[in-house]
Amino acid sequence: MNIFQNIPPFDFHEVFVMPWTEFGDVFIWIFVMGFLVTAACGMLGSFIVWRQMALVGDAISHSVLPGIVVAFLLTQSRGTLPMFFGALVAGILTTTLIEFIHTKSRVKTDAALGIVFTTLFAIGVVLISMYGENVDLDTDCVLYGEIEYVSQDLTVSLFGLFDVPVQVARMGAVAFCVMLLIVFFYKQLLVSSFDPGLARSIGINPAIVHHGLMLLLSITVVSAFEAVGAILVIAMLIFPATTASMLSDRMPIILGLTVVISAISSLLGVHLALWLDVSTAGAMSVVVSTLFGLAWMFSPNRGLLVLAMRR
Amino acid sequence: METIPLETHDLTVAYGKKPVLYGVDVQVPKGKLIGIIGPNGAGKSTLIKAIMGVIPLTSGWVKIFDKPFKANAKRVGYVPQRETVDWDFPVSVMDVVLMGRYGRLGWFSRPGKKDREIARQSLDKVGMLPFADRQISNLSGGQQQRVFLARALAQQSDLYLMDEPFVGVDAATEAAIIAIMKELKEQGKTILVVHHDLPTAKKYFDMLLLLNMRVVAFGPTSEVFTNELLQKTYGGRLTILSEVADAIRTQ
Amino acid sequence: MMSVSCKTGYMNGYRFLIRFGLILTVLTLAANARAAKISDLESIEFGEQLVRFFSMEDELLRTVLLGSLCLGLCCGLLGSFIVVRKLSLVGDALSHAVLPGVAIGFIVAGHKDPLAIFIGAIVAGLAGTVLVNLIKSTTHIKEDSSLGMVLAGFYGLGIVLITMVQKASIGNKAGLDKFLFGQVAALSSKEVTIMAVITVLSLVVIGLFYKQFLVGSFDAAYSKALGIPAQFFHYLLMLLLAFAVVISLQAVGAVLVSAMLIIPASSAYLLTDRMHRMLILSCLFGMGSGAMGAFFSFLGPNLPTGPLMVIAASTVFAASFFLSPKHGLVSRWLRFRDRTRRIRNENTVKAIYHVREKNYFEGEGVDIDALAARLKETRKATLLRVKFLTDANLGDVKEVDGNKNIFLNPEGWLMACTVVRNHRLWELYLTNEAEFEADHVHEDAEKIEHMLGEETVRQLERLLDFPRKDPHGKLIPSLADLQRTLTHSPRKNEPSGYRMPHS
Repeated sequence: MNIFQNIPPFDFHEVFVMPWTEFGDVFIWIFVMGFLVTAACGMLGSFIVWRQMALVGDAISHSVLPGIVVAFLLTQSRGTLPMFFGALVAGILTTTLIEFIHTKSRVKTDAALGIVFTTLFAIGVVLISMYGENVDLDTDCVLYGEIEYVSQDLTVSLFGLFDVPVQVARMGAVAFCVMLLIVFFYKQLLVSSFDPGLARSIGINPAIVHHGLMLLLSITVVSAFEAVGAILVIAMLIFPATTASMLSDRMPIILGLTVVISAISSLLGVHLALWLDVSTAGAMSVVVSTLFGLAWMFSPNRGLLVLAMRR
Repeated sequence: METIPLETHDLTVAYGKKPVLYGVDVQVPKGKLIGIIGPNGAGKSTLIKAIMGVIPLTSGWVKIFDKPFKANAKRVGYVPQRETVDWDFPVSVMDVVLMGRYGRLGWFSRPGKKDREIARQSLDKVGMLPFADRQISNLSGGQQQRVFLARALAQQSDLYLMDEPFVGVDAATEAAIIAIMKELKEQGKTILVVHHDLPTAKKYFDMLLLLNMRVVAFGPTSEVFTNELLQKTYGGRLTILSEVADAIRTQ
Repeated sequence: MMSVSCKTGYMNGYRFLIRFGLILTVLTLAANARAAKISDLESIEFGEQLVRFFSMEDELLRTVLLGSLCLGLCCGLLGSFIVVRKLSLVGDALSHAVLPGVAIGFIVAGHKDPLAIFIGAIVAGLAGTVLVNLIKSTTHIKEDSSLGMVLAGFYGLGIVLITMVQKASIGNKAGLDKFLFGQVAALSSKEVTIMAVITVLSLVVIGLFYKQFLVGSFDAAYSKALGIPAQFFHYLLMLLLAFAVVISLQAVGAVLVSAMLIIPASSAYLLTDRMHRMLILSCLFGMGSGAMGAFFSFLGPNLPTGPLMVIAASTVFAASFFLSPKHGLVSRWLRFRDRTRRIRNENTVKAIYHVREKNYFEGEGVDIDALAARLKETRKATLLRVKFLTDANLGDVKEVDGNKNIFLNPEGWLMACTVVRNHRLWELYLTNEAEFEADHVHEDAEKIEHMLGEETVRQLERLLDFPRKDPHGKLIPSLADLQRTLTHSPRKNEPSGYRMPHS
């Protein structure tokens, strides 16, 4: 067998032009959704990566699963609100449990993290398979997300001007909130990430900033989960931030770059998925990791190429 | 002719692009207790690690008893800084000291009766034999340092390299360690000690190696422990050197 | 004596590993001889399945169980090393990174060939670890982000490839989704053979090079200084880890492999202080969880094995987290409670001593109200205190002239003298040796008095040249007083054990 025979021939018109002219809304909404998810995760990710909590994001994205399942089993509805709160509680529970195990025993943080999220995830999977008939959740959705179906949902009217799919509107709100919060609390985030001691001495409580960030992370991950699935959320959290940090040293520029990177990866991702007929979230993360690869190689001040030439 | 325990030539180490040690040339004579003195960031620990090949040399070479380190690793005993290990690690005091014997064992062999006996003697020498079965996290700082010393003793080497053995230990331990070092010296062994406390340095060591990214002076304590040389080691003049190093790195 | 016990412990661990390897090999061969496809696991009857499981007559079942045991053993063994080296999340990154390798192995072989998939996965896994190190060494990016990037990047690629494979002509038969969550029932005998081979290999390698792995994990720089090729053994361990991850994929699934590496080892880590015991415990926990997972997934038609194994392992972890005799939360809480109680009793007897001292040790009982006044608390609180004291058999309460009085028995009085002695000696030490002001020492002595051991106290006494009075001019009960308290035999029907210091 050769799956390369199954790769459709690359046709620029078919891959890059037709979607915009022929598919219209469906395609645009997938792109917008992808952009919003990546941008929200990316901006937040800049701080997460800097504070060396990248894998906490991973842990939260996994433990969202049991939260959603339990919320469903309790409320018997697939409404957005119960799901959202279930997932949020699971996310907060994860960070609390990690902290608890780490502080109350000699198990180190990395092991505590690994123990907590895998256990919660396992519970989620078992619950799904036990109540599989009732829960309208499948493991595919958990892994790949279902960004492709984004526009099949209900739509809400935005300012009476145009109709937006509910999911997109929600993700947009989350992304907007993340941006606003980062802008408003930029100083606090910066100081407490850089030097907690200094932060405390000028009246900023680093613990509050930490927990606030965790909460925001949970909210973002939970909202993104539906679109890109559990594991790929972590790609969206880390890659834009690390790519941007290869290109610049200044936080405001890094934040701006993550948004640009999000737009590029979402755009190329949907086209790639369309061309190869594969999972959109998977394609997006392939694009975003390729972007990192390029930055790693060719970054003007710290790329491998530049380092090699200097030597 | 007696071979020289330790000889380095143009030993240079850089972390990434930043030079840490420049062209260190030393010939360490046998049977001396030598202190390596210098300010923070002078590359004292780096020198010791570079001698043992723990970090790679950028240039230069090291000879231990006239051979490369790898060929004579058995003849070098090492006491690393206490913070370098995780003291929650599930090993007992005895296990740690036995590690000192591992270098002498073949690839597949395990520590035998003789090795245990040597480990026990080493523990006894540092006064830690009653603690042999304790898990290492239940020890005080001084006791931890004694265990590391016992481990180095169990190596039964001819050249000892010790990285800050007096940091965070009680006075009794400090005195005990010094006594053991003197005893080793009497047996004709050579001991290099990274040290940061100037007043005691004068008291403890036969010879001093003043280091600040390069060798400022190396000789008998009475000759080297002078205001002028110490000023040169600790003084501000070398900031230019580190500025240049930073510039090289950022370029 | 001690060395003998050390040595046997060491050797036992070693022999245990080797012996276990042999047993496993034999079992695999046996299972292979009668291997068959496991496809009729559909029967739903609960009791029937239970009987089927425990009768062990089913070859398919034996294959599956053997696979789970191998998995648990292999993961437990290697997991111990990654947990103590704080590399737990490397296992996680590795397990996700192998996914594209699985897909590529499938593509190259053209069907689900275990060996091709195995090789592909190993290559991808190793590429992932190399990439993590490369990113770490050539950029400013920290370890956690590098791990996360490799994990997510490889996983994304893996998912793209798998969706492509599944959409290809024979994709429906691919069953590659089994690699995500695992289904032990789908294990073929060939796969179990690979699992057993890898498990035996890991046992042998760890058994042979135990000392190198031990010293390298404890202190890599020291291991280099000994002339041991630490780098080589690090990569050997990583290679074995990649093997372990890959053989576990089928049964546990990519997402949860790291759990089988981390959780049994962490449980063992909480239970013992010696590496060889930790290895054995971790292997046992791993095998136990593997068998439990296989068992429970056998009971229901739809239950995935991997998650059940993980839940079994987590249950063990929770148990050791709370109940471990030394490091467990409950046992630590119990010890804390005991200490608090002891300190409370010590404070009570000390107060009784003080009241008696104020009365020049006249009369043998102490009035509850006087005690309450001394302790500056309500009568009710004092009664409660006194009850703790009588419960601990340190004294009795008796009515004297209609008033409740507390009488200490010899043990209680000994405790009182010891505490007072500790307190006053410490105060004296602080004022004389550490040159504290006399009015600054009481608070400190209040804490220290409960912690000073007999050895330290005697040292203090010698150091202070056997003092009789504390900085406030009060008498210090001497060692002789304490000994007299102990040797004094009480006369009948008489409260006793009362001594006046230096009387």
